[in-house]
Amino acid sequence: MNYIIDCKGVYTRNIHILQYSRFKILIRMKLLFILLLFIVQANANLKSQTITLEFTDTPLEKVLGEVKKQSGYSYIANTKLLKEAKKVTVRVSNAELDETLRTIFQDQPLYAEVSNGMIYVKSRRRRNDNTKTSAHPSLHVLLQMAVQGKVTDTLGVALTGISVLQKGRSAQATSTDLNGRYVIDVPGDAVLVFSMVGYETQELPVNGKSQLNVVMKASTSQLDDVVVVGFGRQKRTDMIGSVVSVKPEQLKVPSSNLTTALAGRVAGMIAFQRSGEPGMDNADFFIRGVTTFGYKVDPLILIDNVEVTTTDLARLQVDDIADFSIMKDATATAVYGARGANGVILITTKEGKEGPANISVRIENSVSTPTSNVELADPVTYMKMANEAILTRDPLGFLPFSQSKIERTVPGSGSLEYPSTDWRKELIQEYTMNQRVNLSVSGGGQVARYFVSGALNQDNGVLKVDRRSNFNNNIDLKTYSLRSNVNVNLSPTTEFIVRLNGSFDDYSGPIDGGNKVYRDIMRTNPALFAPYYPSEGEYNWVKHTMFGNFGTGGYLNPYADMVKGYREYSRSMMLAQLELKQNLSFLTEGLSLRGMANTTRNSYFSVRRQYNPFYYQFMGLGPSGEPNYYLINENQGTEYLDYAEGDKTVSSIFYMEAALSYNRTFSDKHAFSGMLVNILRNQLNGNAGDLQLSLPFRNLGVSGRFTYAYDSRYYAEFNFGYNGSERFHESNRFGFFPSVGLAWSASNEKFWENIKPVVSNLRIRGTYGLVGNDAIGSPRDRFFYLSNVNMNSTDRSYTFGRDGGNSKEGISVTRYSNPDIMWETSYKTNIALEVGLFNRLQITADYFNETRKNILMVREDIPTTMGLSADISANVGEAKGEGIDLSMNYSRNFSNSLWIQGLFNFTYATSVFKVYEEPLYDEPWMTRVGYPISIRRGFIAERLFVDDEEVANSPQQHFGEVRGGDIKYMDINGDGQITELDMAPLGYPEIPEINYGVGLSAGYKGFDASVFLQGLARESFWIDPKATAPFRRYLYSDEVFAPGTILQNQVIKAYADSYWSEENRDVYALWPRLSPEGGNANNEQYSTWFMRDGTFLRLKQVELGYTLPQHVIKRINAQRLRVYFNGTNLLTWSKFKLWDVEMAGNGLGYPVQRVFNIGAQLSF
Amino acid sequence: MSLIGLNSCNYLDIVPDNVATLENAFTMRSTAERFLFTCYSYLPNQGGIPTSPSLLGHEIIPLYVYNSNSTAFVRGQQNVVDPVLNWWDGLMGGIDMYQAIRDCNIFIENIHAVPNMSDEEKLSWESEAKFLKAYYHFLLMQMYGPIPIIRENLSIDADLEKVRVSREPIDAGFSYITALLDEAIPHLPLIIADEGNELGRVTKPIAMSIKALVLVTAASPLYNGNRDYLSYTDPKYGSLFNPDYDVEKWRLAMEAAEAAIDVCHEAGMELHKFRPGVGQNLSDHTIIQMGIRNAVCEKWNSEVIWAYTGATATQTALTPRTWDPTRNHDGMQGRYGPPLNTVNLFYTKNGVPIDEDTGWDYNGRFDLKVASAADKYNIKQGYTTAAMHFDREDRFYASTGFDGGIWYGQGKFDDNDTWHLEGRAGGFTSRQFADRYTPTGYWPKKLINYLNVVGVSSYSVVAYYWPNMRLADLYLLYAEAANEYLGPNDGSFEYLDLVRERAGLPGVQDAWAQHSRNPTKFQTKEGLREIIHQERRIELVYEAKGLWDLLRWKKAASELSKPMIGWDLLQTDAALYYRETVVFERTFRQRDYFQPIREYNIIRNRNLLQSPGW
Repeated sequence: MNYIIDCKGVYTRNIHILQYSRFKILIRMKLLFILLLFIVQANANLKSQTITLEFTDTPLEKVLGEVKKQSGYSYIANTKLLKEAKKVTVRVSNAELDETLRTIFQDQPLYAEVSNGMIYVKSRRRRNDNTKTSAHPSLHVLLQMAVQGKVTDTLGVALTGISVLQKGRSAQATSTDLNGRYVIDVPGDAVLVFSMVGYETQELPVNGKSQLNVVMKASTSQLDDVVVVGFGRQKRTDMIGSVVSVKPEQLKVPSSNLTTALAGRVAGMIAFQRSGEPGMDNADFFIRGVTTFGYKVDPLILIDNVEVTTTDLARLQVDDIADFSIMKDATATAVYGARGANGVILITTKEGKEGPANISVRIENSVSTPTSNVELADPVTYMKMANEAILTRDPLGFLPFSQSKIERTVPGSGSLEYPSTDWRKELIQEYTMNQRVNLSVSGGGQVARYFVSGALNQDNGVLKVDRRSNFNNNIDLKTYSLRSNVNVNLSPTTEFIVRLNGSFDDYSGPIDGGNKVYRDIMRTNPALFAPYYPSEGEYNWVKHTMFGNFGTGGYLNPYADMVKGYREYSRSMMLAQLELKQNLSFLTEGLSLRGMANTTRNSYFSVRRQYNPFYYQFMGLGPSGEPNYYLINENQGTEYLDYAEGDKTVSSIFYMEAALSYNRTFSDKHAFSGMLVNILRNQLNGNAGDLQLSLPFRNLGVSGRFTYAYDSRYYAEFNFGYNGSERFHESNRFGFFPSVGLAWSASNEKFWENIKPVVSNLRIRGTYGLVGNDAIGSPRDRFFYLSNVNMNSTDRSYTFGRDGGNSKEGISVTRYSNPDIMWETSYKTNIALEVGLFNRLQITADYFNETRKNILMVREDIPTTMGLSADISANVGEAKGEGIDLSMNYSRNFSNSLWIQGLFNFTYATSVFKVYEEPLYDEPWMTRVGYPISIRRGFIAERLFVDDEEVANSPQQHFGEVRGGDIKYMDINGDGQITELDMAPLGYPEIPEINYGVGLSAGYKGFDASVFLQGLARESFWIDPKATAPFRRYLYSDEVFAPGTILQNQVIKAYADSYWSEENRDVYALWPRLSPEGGNANNEQYSTWFMRDGTFLRLKQVELGYTLPQHVIKRINAQRLRVYFNGTNLLTWSKFKLWDVEMAGNGLGYPVQRVFNIGAQLSF
Repeated sequence: MSLIGLNSCNYLDIVPDNVATLENAFTMRSTAERFLFTCYSYLPNQGGIPTSPSLLGHEIIPLYVYNSNSTAFVRGQQNVVDPVLNWWDGLMGGIDMYQAIRDCNIFIENIHAVPNMSDEEKLSWESEAKFLKAYYHFLLMQMYGPIPIIRENLSIDADLEKVRVSREPIDAGFSYITALLDEAIPHLPLIIADEGNELGRVTKPIAMSIKALVLVTAASPLYNGNRDYLSYTDPKYGSLFNPDYDVEKWRLAMEAAEAAIDVCHEAGMELHKFRPGVGQNLSDHTIIQMGIRNAVCEKWNSEVIWAYTGATATQTALTPRTWDPTRNHDGMQGRYGPPLNTVNLFYTKNGVPIDEDTGWDYNGRFDLKVASAADKYNIKQGYTTAAMHFDREDRFYASTGFDGGIWYGQGKFDDNDTWHLEGRAGGFTSRQFADRYTPTGYWPKKLINYLNVVGVSSYSVVAYYWPNMRLADLYLLYAEAANEYLGPNDGSFEYLDLVRERAGLPGVQDAWAQHSRNPTKFQTKEGLREIIHQERRIELVYEAKGLWDLLRWKKAASELSKPMIGWDLLQTDAALYYRETVVFERTFRQRDYFQPIREYNIIRNRNLLQSPGW
């Protein structure tokens, strides 16, 4: 067809840009962004303009030219049409565009339609020739007529962007303008469909009327929602795959970490939080459990189609989220090919809507305090038990505390001579305050729309600060984020989107983090010295803090370690994205093309500044009662700060996708859609530390989705992903991951009509398909097909020479090449039933099962006599997972403006080993096959040994010293020894199998309230017998201490209350016979002795809100003001009492927080 | 889209050329040399506390409270689940010996491919690798008895039946090791020419003396005609211990030791003797004692055959907490001490055992005695200590520190003005801290370099390299082998007496004839065997050899199950302090002669037998 394209320069320019390579686009992005900002501004000016015309018998083209000049609106018209037009006589002054156009086209066989900043000139009779007149009895309804009207919400506010289309002919469509008005050209007997996300879709017959005003009701059910799926959107009613979408407001918790909101909110997701330290409090979450034993078990996270990290998700502002979808089965994830096997979380951010600027502000202030603290024994008990721990093992041992010291120590006395220090009190505050502010502005005109938001979160730790130094050693985490999404219509069919997003963390906190402060409190002697001594009397010249210590100064003083300095880190993530959507309806109806390019830059660095504390030992009181101190480490201490550089990581990611999609319904019944997408991803990490790790990470693939629906009753879908990963050898590089799905909407059948009032929806769907995972082995195993040789291995260095002058590093193989290694593949099946009752209760139940094949695992049967320096791995493992997701939503509005909503989510996911390379065991319990993947194996503890004689007469336990009061294990295989062969799978898996949430919310007039409970079950965890062992020297695996540092675990009060002693030989005591700092290897084995039930139910969140009435807020020109109060982690029900059960084995770390929060949300 | 499609073939091909592979190790001399260093890097530090299986255990025992893999090892906490000092898998403080052997094999397979090296040098390097391969096999046999022998590397994709190797008989193991050493010896240098860069590399004297040690071990009762393991048979190789005693094994050992001694002499080695500095007037006792001390602590002294250069020897952990009453810091830790069991071994000043000397009051050894001027070079004059500390041989004073004992050197080089130790409660060397005191009341003085000084806040240590083999050791190996093969003979007496002479003692025959209650002891093979064994235990005390000797002599079961005795450390009063106190009761079972293999390995390789008794 031949079109006159008359438009502004920018449009033409963009056409040119399209012809540039995509890389050039990227380079010019900055320029473009500036340009786009300009457009938004220009557009804003347009709104107020009016038009003045005076023409007599003038060609239409000329008149429209003048309209364009004055209004800035371009027009598009078929040249043939324009020739049909009559000459125009028009006289208007200061008229609105709509009015002007109506006047111009009054007597024309044409009419004008304004949409998306364009004027479309169309024929009034364009379709008459195509209409099958003979089929219709009455002529007048057959005539194409322009129907116009205004769309408002229930409050009478005009709605912009409501889609208006003729039912059964989606090509005949328009949308409402800034004033809520629309004009559409349809036959007189047509039915118009009005729809928009968030509102109930309405269908109204035209019946020959030319004016049709519509009032839209906000939708309460999700049935009409459009769900974001991989590379596209689908109507919820058409979904075959298993995709859950979560309403963003459900994810709103008083935390600056979005991941903590996931638990119990989503059917199909297992989530739990192990730490409450700001910046380190990401929850663990898995979609449908963990069905692999590789390293990558968490889902692929995509924000606006771009893969991001868990931390990026954590920093995402809930207020920025438009859609939050979780894809669970093969059909939903197959398009992600070799990356989607662990499920996909797909988030899209908000876009601007046509309309005046909508400003929304949210301010919150919260008080946060640990949900529980581990109770410790008092210093006197500590000292008594410390002596006992030595004597009970070594009667000749050196007793650390004299009897007189024990007798004279009074807990809490503050005595210098007989110190009793409550380290937690000295280091930790009762509570802390955090603030969050979030601002967003959205709006736009017909050419461009924008959504801009910014957020600032301030999180503080609960650590105390030393008043004597001017730096802040408490955790101070500021996270900022900024997002700008701008959509520009380059033409009626072309949309151009720019998304810019930055997220920034500025952290200042203790040198080794808050978790270590907690851990250190747990291993510091409470009876030797005070945290610091006052610099008074003869010490008043001392400028530094006189920290307490003892002996040669090797004791841990966590107070000194906490206040001696601070660490700062700065993390930033910048994302720039450019997307172009081209509607190709002019080629064939329903066809469109979309291209997107994105670059993400991450950077992180940290710096530490610290002084070396001076340690003083209290040496007694002088003659006049003044204390004397001995400076222990005069040479090591410093009064000035030292500096150490920390990690610096930078990475750059480029991602791009191009998609062609087709969407069309034929004869009202046959709905086809097709989509092909090509993706390309490249990631480079700076400071990777190894040549192979420094090479780019790449992914390349083509995916597709084809759906067919017949009469909204029968549905079929086929998806595929054809993906390649750079990690594998050429011969295995690409993989094909197909999936199919079928669905039947029984409730749309004719025969259902009678049942419909009761069972409003019944739909059955099933899918089967393959998805891959290329993140296998470990992240350090980059190229399995290549060997990795360390040519400068310090582990293999040696020295020669008279004075050791000739030292050379050696050579070691860190990986042997194996070209056969490829990704693991998941074979997933999903069967789901959707039931809607009375249009109020929606139930979705999914049964899923999955077989994961080709799991990479270490070849267990290669003996060490081979002398290999690295493990040999192969794709030999198999695992199987299955389970159920259930979600129920209830929603009801009562006429007296009372509403109630309820939700229930339930997930049960199990996974077991199916093939695991292991020796042929004679002992059936030794095999992993058939047992859950995350189940821990260990010994079955019978009880404690009564005495040494019983030890001598029992099967030998091969773990070092065993005496009376040590744990007695069961000799399962009866060979008279307790060895590895007596280890059995214990309890439930360490990743909970059941996760559920129940929520109830209600509102009446301005008030609303909600309660959310969350729980998990079928989880076992272990009290760490090393980290909690009284007096033991325990280092966590990632820690380094200065040589000579003395670490002695404190005594947990529960242990002090119940332990085996020679006087009290309680064979079922909580803690076995005491041991000195070396610990006792026998008692430290994983066994049922320290196994605990991780089941809990907690009152996760309670919220009360009040929305101020309109007449009040009108005075401040606001649209809406809601104030609310909420609290999280308020109550917990669990059998386990030592610490917050959700922290499981990490109980001595930074506790999970209980938060009370007050907030206000205001929009203008 | 088509753009991407076109490039897709190459897009994922991101690995540049020249990524390092194992072949790169043998393309140049310099990288090949680094690979040779790699082969050496597995050598164990026999003098290292956390890693040595033999340093601690009976000659020196650790504090109870102080745990390491080697202390767990000596406390009898060995187990099959996760054995400590696991040299089979390289776990729990052990070194992966099979990985070491694999690297040696890689080196031997590839060294001839290096282009820029002369054939002689390649041969010499290959011989070093062969020596190491043999030595690593030997270390495994000391630990585990019969072992799978890795003659050549199996390829990574070898089939499973092939990689599931079996233990081979003891005799096959020793003959393989000997054959490998015989291949290596001719191509090794007599001495290291470039001492600054290469001392520590394997030479002919090293290889030949280790060969002597290997053959002496092979001929010793644990391995030669041991009938304790008659039922320990492998399905493939049958009986792993040859039950028939073969005296010819002692002949081979004797000849190897003799050849090694000749080559050492040819290389200019001799027993070390201390030469005082110019103008330094030292007593004879001090000079003799310093000869003993410096035979170990003086770097590259004239009797060192093979020193371990991978790390310097451990000293701080063994040094008494202080000998300087004014200085007290954690530079010195002294948490390991010799028990009375070790102290009792040292001869009297007449060169015979304390319970045999007619002139030494054995029964009155716990009586108290005040040191006189005559004792001043050994015991602090005027200090009261146990009678058993008086009138002992110089090796006792040179090797062991004790309450009231003189400690020469350490900044005081005039032997009329020296440090001494005060170990009773309240004394400056006594126990004051929970983890820094001797469990017994003695200190292994021999391992502390006399040049170390306690500074104001630090302990400055003059490092030395641990002697894996020294000439006195070799002499005693010869004496032992010759006696076993020939009975009492001149050669045995000659080398025994050389060692005793350096220690300031009369010859065996004179000493026993004049001072022993059993004056003809040396005239029988059995009697002389006992003399040689004790001589060896005294001369090499604290040098991490004793455990291996006791094991190969099959004396460990009796010696190591004796309670370890120390003094009553909490006492201030000498009369109360000098009471025998059981510090540690160690049990030694028959199975402890060989260490267990981790059960994991047995489960995965059913062809592999567990060590006997485990």
